[in-house]
This record gives sequence, C-alpha cells and structure tokens, in this order.
Amino acid sequence: MFNLARLALRNVLRNRRRTLITLAALLIGVGVMVSIRGLMNGFQRSMVEGVVTGQTGALQVHKKGYLKNVLASPLTLDVPATPEFYSKIKAIPHVTAVAPRIMFAGMVNLGDETIFITMQAVDPALEFKVCPLRKATIVDGGKFKDGGVPDAMVVTTEMDKALKAKAALTKDPPALLAPDKEGQLSGENVSLVGTLALNGPGERKLGLVRIDVAQRLLKMEGRATELLIAVDNIDEIPKVKAALQAALGPEYEVSSWEEIAKFVVDARSRQEVIVKVVAAVFLLLMLLGVANTMLMSVLERTREIGTMMAVGVRRSKIVALFLYEAALIGALGGVLGATVGALVTAWLNLRGLEVTAPGSNVPFIMHPYVEPSYIVQVVAIAATGALLFALYPAWRASRLRPVEALAGG
Amino acid sequence: MSLVSLKGVKKSYQLGKTEVVALKGVDLVIEKGEFTVVMGPSGSGKTTLLNIIGCLDRASEGSYRLDGEEIGHRDFNDLAEVRNRKIGFIFQNFNLIPVLNVIENIEFPCVIRGEGGKELRDRVLAVARDVGLEPHLKHKPDELSGGQRQRVAIARALITQPQLVLADEPTANLDSATSDQIIDLMLALNRDKGVTFLFSTHDPRVMEHARRVVRIHDGAIVDGTDSAAADVARMHASAH
Ligand SMILES: Nc1ncnc2c1ncn2[C@@H]1O[C@H](COP(=O)(O)OP(=O)(O)O)[C@@H](O)[C@H]1O
Ligand SMILES: [Mg+2]
Repeated sequence: MFNLARLALRNVLRNRRRTLITLAALLIGVGVMVSIRGLMNGFQRSMVEGVVTGQTGALQVHKKGYLKNVLASPLTLDVPATPEFYSKIKAIPHVTAVAPRIMFAGMVNLGDETIFITMQAVDPALEFKVCPLRKATIVDGGKFKDGGVPDAMVVTTEMDKALKAKAALTKDPPALLAPDKEGQLSGENVSLVGTLALNGPGERKLGLVRIDVAQRLLKMEGRATELLIAVDNIDEIPKVKAALQAALGPEYEVSSWEEIAKFVVDARSRQEVIVKVVAAVFLLLMLLGVANTMLMSVLERTREIGTMMAVGVRRSKIVALFLYEAALIGALGGVLGATVGALVTAWLNLRGLEVTAPGSNVPFIMHPYVEPSYIVQVVAIAATGALLFALYPAWRASRLRPVEALAGG
Repeated sequence: MSLVSLKGVKKSYQLGKTEVVALKGVDLVIEKGEFTVVMGPSGSGKTTLLNIIGCLDRASEGSYRLDGEEIGHRDFNDLAEVRNRKIGFIFQNFNLIPVLNVIENIEFPCVIRGEGGKELRDRVLAVARDVGLEPHLKHKPDELSGGQRQRVAIARALITQPQLVLADEPTANLDSATSDQIIDLMLALNRDKGVTFLFSTHDPRVMEHARRVVRIHDGAIVDGTDSAAADVARMHASAH
C-alpha cells in the first residue's frame, strides 16, 4: 500500500524551521495545560487537607437536625462529649481521633462595652489531634494550647485589635457572656492570651475557649454541639461515614467535610472552570498555529500536489496525506509538551511551592502533581485537535485543480 | 482503433466578462507507436490541448476518445486511475516530489496503485538504466541537474508502461545540448521500446528530429491533423 505515513513524515521533516516553530507552539500549549493542571491539583489537595486537618476534620457528628438550624447555633441539639461515646466512635475502622466542639454566639464585655463574637469551645489536646494544622494558626497562644491558663481565650486578629482598643479604656478583666442552654445569660471571666490566624475563608470575628469553660458557662456538662473525627485515609471517608451512621443510629447525623465546608467544594468547581478555560485558550491558540502551518504548507506545495494528482493520486489521498502530517506534528508536539509539563510539575512537586490561599493568612506548601491519565488525554487532544484543524487546509489542497496547480509556481 | 481521437474539441476560459477561446475545434488522431510533435508559438493552445489529452482538464465541447473510451465528460478526479494506468507525464519544470529520492520518484505512480517489492524495484532499476540515471539513484531532486531531473521525470512517466507519454515543452528549461540529449532519449525510447510520445514545443529546432509535426496556431490545428496526412507529408519530405 502507498505509504502515506512515510511521505507525511518526510514532509514534516522537510521544512525544519517551520516544523520547529509549530512544535514549539504545541510544546508551550500542552506544557502549560499540563503544568496548570498540576498546580491546580496540588493547590486543591492542599486546600482539602487544609480544611480537613485545620477546620472540619474528615467527618463530623451532630444531633439530627442540627445542621439544618446551624445558623442559630442551637445548644439544645447537642451530643454527648464523654469518653464512652468517643470509644463507640473510635471502634469504627480508620477512625484515629475524636474531638468535641461547642459552637455558640457570645459577647465579650469590657467595662461598658460589649462586642458580639462567634465562639468555638474546644478541647485543645483532642482538637489538635484531629486538626493539627490549627495549632499553627494560634499565635502566642501557648497558654491556651497547653492548658496552662484554664480561662484562656484566643480571638482572630481583627477581634483582638478591637478588644485591645476597648481594654485600654477600662481596668476590668474581660468577661465572656452567653445565653446558656436554658436561655439564661451568664458569664465567665476570660484571659486573652493570643491570636488566631485564619487558614481559609470563614468567620472573621471568632474566638476560642476551652470546652470545660464553655460547658460551665452554657450548662452543658458532658455535652458538645459537634464531634470532629479524623481518619487515617481520606479515601475511606464514605465507608467510615456509613459505618458511623449505622453505629450511632438515626438520632445523630454524620457528615463528611464536603457537606460541612461547601465553600471548598464550590471553590474547587470554580477553579475547575478556570483551568478548563485556560486550557481551552491555549489549545485553541496552538491549534490555530497548526492550521496556519498546514495552510502555508498547502500553498507552498501547490505544484507538488498537482503533480501527485496528475500521476493518479486521488483527492481523498491528498486529504489523508495532510491529515497525517498534522496528526504527526500534533502527536509529536503533544508528547514533547506533556513531557516538559510533567517534568516541571515533578520538579515543583519535589521542591514544594509556598502559597497563601485567598481569605487566609497562613501560607502553606503545596505539591503539584498530574495524573498519568490526564497526560495521555492531553496528548490525544493535541493530536486529534491538530487533525481537526488541518481539515480545512487538507480540503483546500484536495480541491486544487492540477491544471492550475501545475501552471503556478 | 486509434489511441487518441479528438473531434471538434473546443476549450474556452472565462476571464471576468471576456471569454478566452484556447482551442477552437480541434480534430486530432494519434496512433500507437507514434512520435508526434505539437508545434506552435507561445499561447497557441499547446498546453491546453495536452491537458485535455492527459485527462487533467475537460473540453468545453467536442469528443475525446482515449483507447476507445469516451473521456470528454468525466471529472479529472474520476480519471485518476486512467491517468495512472494509461498516461505518463513529463513537464516543463520537471515536477518531481522533493522529499523523494530518484528511485522513489520513479516508482511513485506504481506505489500509489499498490505495487511494490522486488519486481517493481527491478523495473525501476531497468528504467533508470534506460534513461541513464544509474549513478544517481539515491539522490534527491535538488541534488540533480536540470537534465538529470528531466530524466527522472521521463523514467517516472515510463515506469507504468503507459500507452501515451505527454511531454509539454520538456526542453524549455534546459540548455540546447541537454535538450538535444533529452529529445534523443525520447526518440530512442520511441524507436526501441515503441513508446507513444506526444511532445509540445515552440522551438523550431526540434522540427529536425520530429517524425510527425502537428502545427497549432491560435487554438486551431493548421497542419498535420491525422496520421495519414503526416505520413504523406513525411513521404514528401523524404522524397526531396
Ligand atoms: N486558466 C486559464 N484562464 C484563462 N485563459 C487561459 C488559461 N489557460 C490558458 N489560457 C489562455 O489560453 C490560450 C492558450 O494557452 P496555452 O494552452 O497555455 O498555450 P501554450 O501552451 O501554447 O503557450 C492563451 O491565450 C492563454 O492565455
Ligand atoms: Mg504551454
């Protein structure tokens, strides 16, 4: 059979400079597509890890109906915070730690002034087991973290500034006020010992106190509004969720981090759109480059095409020849670009990249990576895209009439 | 049955609003084994005539039979096989395929119809020897002189053992010594192998070599329409 592929290869190699320019365009396009995918993968993984090990834990247990009313922080929809209950949870495979939290709305009273604040009460030792990243977000809060001061409180930087301004005007120590489980307003003295950095979008007027302080204040001894659960493998979350729900019964609801931190899921899908748009733009640009190369090649080779037709090559074979050439360039450029993109990604993976997520002031190190399947996909897209964008030039070539083609040039 | 038979072939081109008539009703008969020269000044319609005979272009009017088959109405893409099997082309500017070497250029018309292997390779070598290209088999066209390139084109035209070889001003881009060699080569191939040639030129010197001359002027044949007339003319010529 007439070896079109061999002829195509020779033609691709013939105008080296132009082939190199086209390959360079493909290399950059595909390289960027792969690198951006890698960066985004790394960023998203860090973001998920940041949320899971810094904010939400892998799973959470609430009283049935709590999440529906989460904005009201209902203290009556509570769960046990006892070693027995924790043991029941820890009995589920893959669960490594449990930490209780009480979420409540409070006020900080300083002299005559009162500032509203969103409160989280935690057990520092357990909390940092489930959310180790959180430990780093507490600045100068050693006395809170290690339990040295029982009434220690840390607040977000913003809140801290506001409170410090008020504290300068009074000699009274700050007091944390909140309506307890029965709705009675009660108070506890607190000591401000440090600040809390934000590691993601979230409440900006937030304070942390020890859970025993809150339990006393809110009359919730032995109770919490939520339990955070750490697992040894993020991929096991669905399985753990099902097992936990079965073990605890319908009185409780078990949620995965994705259901709690919806903003992360939303951010992830927005980022996916951006990645796809950027990839599409680069793809389009490089494929237009291929189309241009093919068109120039057709114009340059008019006489040769006429000759081939004169000696008996059919139009369909002329189309096939140019499509072969485009696919060859597309595949070659795709492989080169994917290789470069994968190498860049691998290098960034080893090196690590320090970034700060929007809405956060805690930098983290991300490690970009790409799935091999994505690389295969990109190379296939480059080759088929080149083929599609060569359809018009190839068709133009096949429409040449040998009488005119042979007369020209 | 004549190899080529044209009756009342007209060809006109539309150039904007004006109609250019390139052939004004040509009758021409060519028999197997002839060596015919179409002679005429530039613009007289030689290329147009050869393109129609070569199934590259369609007559506007009239009938064309090639080897007994009516061709006139068929599209050139439909005629790819006819060209491939029955006609060999030699062009003024050689028209070799630049990425192919001498052997590959020669075998190209056979390769596209699926031939290959040792049998083809032997035929290519034989034809290359006939046209004197043996020392250059692996060269690319741009490494060859004009005369050598035209020899490649001749070999490519012959490899399919066509019934008719069309050569449109094959010597126009060659110096006179090389032209003579190329003409001698084609004459020898006609004499020794019985290859039918139709050869166009505007160079009166070529006349000396021609066995049959068809004169064309302003799209009309003015002399030598059919072979019998040519024979008579030749007899007259030799008698003097
Ligand atoms: N594609 C075309 N469009 C318009 N006119 C053409 C075209 N091809 C040839 N002609 C005209 O037809 C006439 C014959 O041309 P051609 O066959 O090329 O002559 P020759 O080969 O003898 O020089 C000329 O007047 C030429 O200008
Ligand atoms: Mg001409």
